[in-house]
Amino acid sequence: MSFWEYVGTRHAQLLTDAYQHASAVFQCMVIATLLGVFLGVVTYRSEWAGSLATTTTATVLTIPSLALIGLLIPIVGLGVAPTVIALTLYGLLPVVRNAIVGLRGVDPALVDAAKGIGMSRAARLFRVELPLAWPPILTGIRVATQMLMGIAAIAAFASGPGLGNEIFRGIASLGSANSLNQVLAGTVGIAVLALLFDAAYVLIGRLTISRGIRA
Amino acid sequence: MSTPGDPGNPGDPGTPDVPGGPRSDSRPRRAGGRPGPGARGASDHEAFAFRDNVEMEQRELAAGEAPTPSAARGGRRISWQKWTFMPAFLFFVLLATWLWFRGAQLDSIAHQAVDDGKVWLALRQHIVLTAVSTFFVLVIAIPLGIALTRSRLRRATPFAMALANLGQAVPALGLLILLVIWLGIGARSAIVGMVIYAVLPVLANTIAGLRGIDPTLTEAARGIGMSPTGVLGKVELPLAVPLILAGVRTALVLNVGTATLATFGGGGGLGDLISAGIVTQRMPVLVLGSVLTVVLALLVEWLASLAELLLRPRGLEVAV
Repeated sequence: MSFWEYVGTRHAQLLTDAYQHASAVFQCMVIATLLGVFLGVVTYRSEWAGSLATTTTATVLTIPSLALIGLLIPIVGLGVAPTVIALTLYGLLPVVRNAIVGLRGVDPALVDAAKGIGMSRAARLFRVELPLAWPPILTGIRVATQMLMGIAAIAAFASGPGLGNEIFRGIASLGSANSLNQVLAGTVGIAVLALLFDAAYVLIGRLTISRGIRA
Repeated sequence: MSTPGDPGNPGDPGTPDVPGGPRSDSRPRRAGGRPGPGARGASDHEAFAFRDNVEMEQRELAAGEAPTPSAARGGRRISWQKWTFMPAFLFFVLLATWLWFRGAQLDSIAHQAVDDGKVWLALRQHIVLTAVSTFFVLVIAIPLGIALTRSRLRRATPFAMALANLGQAVPALGLLILLVIWLGIGARSAIVGMVIYAVLPVLANTIAGLRGIDPTLTEAARGIGMSPTGVLGKVELPLAVPLILAGVRTALVLNVGTATLATFGGGGGLGDLISAGIVTQRMPVLVLGSVLTVVLALLVEWLASLAELLLRPRGLEVAV
């Protein structure tokens, strides 16, 4: 069976897997973004807290994903729970760091000016600082998403959802006629999803980056 | 923002116009916590990370390089605490795991997974996989990065960068298994896969490091009559060392992680323990494998960051 025949006959299964993969990554990324930007906002003013947040998230990123999932299984069991926790944790680092770097990079003169025209602290944050820090945060989200795509594949080993299952089915039947097709379909599918997400982020960047700072 | 030229100004060290003074008025937040020279260096670094992220949109810089500023910033002051904390922490984790594992109830299946020195074998295999693949990554990526920034090949650089970015989209697991199907089961396929996977970020780091060098410096070096090799060896490479070292660290950390996946292609390593633990549902085996992997990864990262601080050229340190 050629690769295209395989994709043709299994497209329903593949599309379901792809949808679950994308949706798991997307949802975890939304949580990671909210949490990461929140952590960035809370910690960026203090040198100490900022570096603590960065170091902690960097340490989590150093941990191999299979090992983190392995440590989560005794606590939360197999399936969706370890996948979501692991993906969210790994997604945090780039967002937190770029949020801190971005917020610290905002020209203090602009914040001063905002204060001078009578903006409250919240208004300064939401209408001046975060829009100015948004481009690096968005870059962080892109980086994180790309990473999560690959980690989600590994999470399938802990019975997580997504295209990783296709790869593991191929591993289980290594040597059989369809194993190459299965692995290839999973791998290419994930790569395509990653590139689609990347394109979507470029579009989101166009739409959401404040016109004043667009290059 | 200060230029790279002005901190290295040993001729007049006693000049009263330290930039810390006037700057502290305009930027109260920056100057609040830190002494003058440190603050200057840190804000320069932050500006670099920021600009790289936005303009070049390069994920390797965002993912791999950016810890450097914080390390460099805190490096001199909190270094010994940082250096002793991690080994102590890891030792404690290992001790706790060992004590727990000794007391855990192991049945015959769990015994089969850990007896006869299988744990040591897995650990050794993991270290060998990581070391060998990192060696090849460096041997391939750094010369290639240097070659791609020479004037003759410079046209190919955007292409290589695009390829590097595209390559990151391919999941490591899929790449590894495809190689296993192609090259056969064993450690060799795993190493090939790990090398391919880690070459791209290190290559991108090297290229970014060499391209980020202030062109006036290389021009000045050429101006005083240095040969292209001299410019490369005496100016460009020393200036790019921090970024290259960050690339080495990235490669090591990536490889320790990817080596856990070698088990799915019969390549051995600590992934054997983890997958045996998951498949046979023996939690002690799973936890032992996972903890050992985590400890190894953190240890490798710690050693690499140590090397990064020690090997950084003295001339690049701002607070001299």
